[in-house]
Amino acid sequence: MTSFVNIQFSNLSKRYRRRSILDGVDFKLHKGQCTLLCGTNGSGKTTLLRIMAGLEKPDTGTISTGLGEIKWRSYRRALQAKIMYLHQHPYMFDATVRQNIAYALRHGYSAAERDKHIDEALQWADLEPLAGVSATTLSGGESQRVALARAWLRAPAVLLLDEPMANMDQESRLRTHALLRQLKSEGMSIVLTSHDELQFQSLTDRQLRLKDGRISTDSIQTQAENVSAFPIGQTARHHTA
Amino acid sequence: MESLNSATFDAIRLLATGDSELWGIIGISFRVSTTAILISIPPSLLLAFMLANGRFPGRRLLISVFSTLLSLPAVVVGLTLYLVLSRQGPLGDLRLLFTQSAMVLGQIALCVPILVAMGHSAFQAADRRAWETARTLGASPLRALLTVMHEVRFGLFAVLLAAYGRIIAEVGASMMLGGNILNYTRNIPTAIALETSKGEFSQGIALGIVLLLLAFGLNGLLHYFQGKGRFAT
Repeated sequence: MTSFVNIQFSNLSKRYRRRSILDGVDFKLHKGQCTLLCGTNGSGKTTLLRIMAGLEKPDTGTISTGLGEIKWRSYRRALQAKIMYLHQHPYMFDATVRQNIAYALRHGYSAAERDKHIDEALQWADLEPLAGVSATTLSGGESQRVALARAWLRAPAVLLLDEPMANMDQESRLRTHALLRQLKSEGMSIVLTSHDELQFQSLTDRQLRLKDGRISTDSIQTQAENVSAFPIGQTARHHTA
Repeated sequence: MESLNSATFDAIRLLATGDSELWGIIGISFRVSTTAILISIPPSLLLAFMLANGRFPGRRLLISVFSTLLSLPAVVVGLTLYLVLSRQGPLGDLRLLFTQSAMVLGQIALCVPILVAMGHSAFQAADRRAWETARTLGASPLRALLTVMHEVRFGLFAVLLAAYGRIIAEVGASMMLGGNILNYTRNIPTAIALETSKGEFSQGIALGIVLLLLAFGLNGLLHYFQGKGRFAT
């Protein structure tokens, strides 16, 4: 099994038809760190994130860990339990909010334990009033909270989020921010994309700017304290992934 | 008009009184067609999914082939399999000709193209994020496939209805491969063809009513589930 402590992607490139999306990108994923990939539309942020998630295969490039270089196929195989990817608009299965969250629960729990963990996840994301609602009817902000509740329940080593606050109102942004902060405080490595770096300034440890498929700047952030306006994301975790 | 009324009345009487010959024919029809579709569903839907989501050499050619086979006449399937299963054919030693197994094979050949071509369209309509979300939430490929199938269930159910409707009503392949043997390989369409050729319209109309009721029932079921909105996850 691949260790996701300090995983290194080197010289990644990706083309769609004749257009170069990524052109020799080097990126190192550090444990427990929150990294922001920023850049304009079409700069390659989402493609880089999807390569990390194993959803897109790079045309060239290598992936290595402390144990040495690993093949793409091995990386993808190792991914399933370790990395979780959230789309810009998280997909909600045609089922209730509760059932959507239950999908993320790992195997090996009794029915009573399952119910308890799902209840905790609902409470964590302040989704209890929506538990029985059809998830396909949720707003963008609510869907994002369901997606984050699934992430909290699944507890991956690395969480990848594509534009997690796109098209959200201020209240939903604050809620999402609070949940991401909680996930980070639990030691989860987070990589997220945004074209607006200010939105995540207080959350990120590191900022990479992509331009024309290349990393143009790589900077370490100095974090400002940010007290959440929403008392959510405070539920204690009783299960281990 | 009077003879049509009288034949229809006789047909209803045959159905209502539980005529053993008539209900035997209906039973054979359902047994053969249900077996054929149950065998066809897993590989066909898997192939349909791969054609909709996979990228491999020959994919476009396969899609074209299965789309073309949608309009394959049942008698051509019957003739081809007849030549394969007849004594001189490559599978003649299996002695399958004029058995229900041969009819099942013929109906599989007819419904697989429908399941693959129309299933491909149904899977193409699915949101790709459904598969990716299922996988990123730790689902195995099989569980993720079942999840996507659940998401497009109404489309797939319509595909199954189309395929089942096609094979339970086809005459050509069943006639050539089954031989229309009473109480063994005579099914609803071959019985209708035979009785009509003899001028015995009552049984033909009775069997026609069964086919119509079947189509009505299955469509009603589809609309019921569509209206209900969801199955249990």
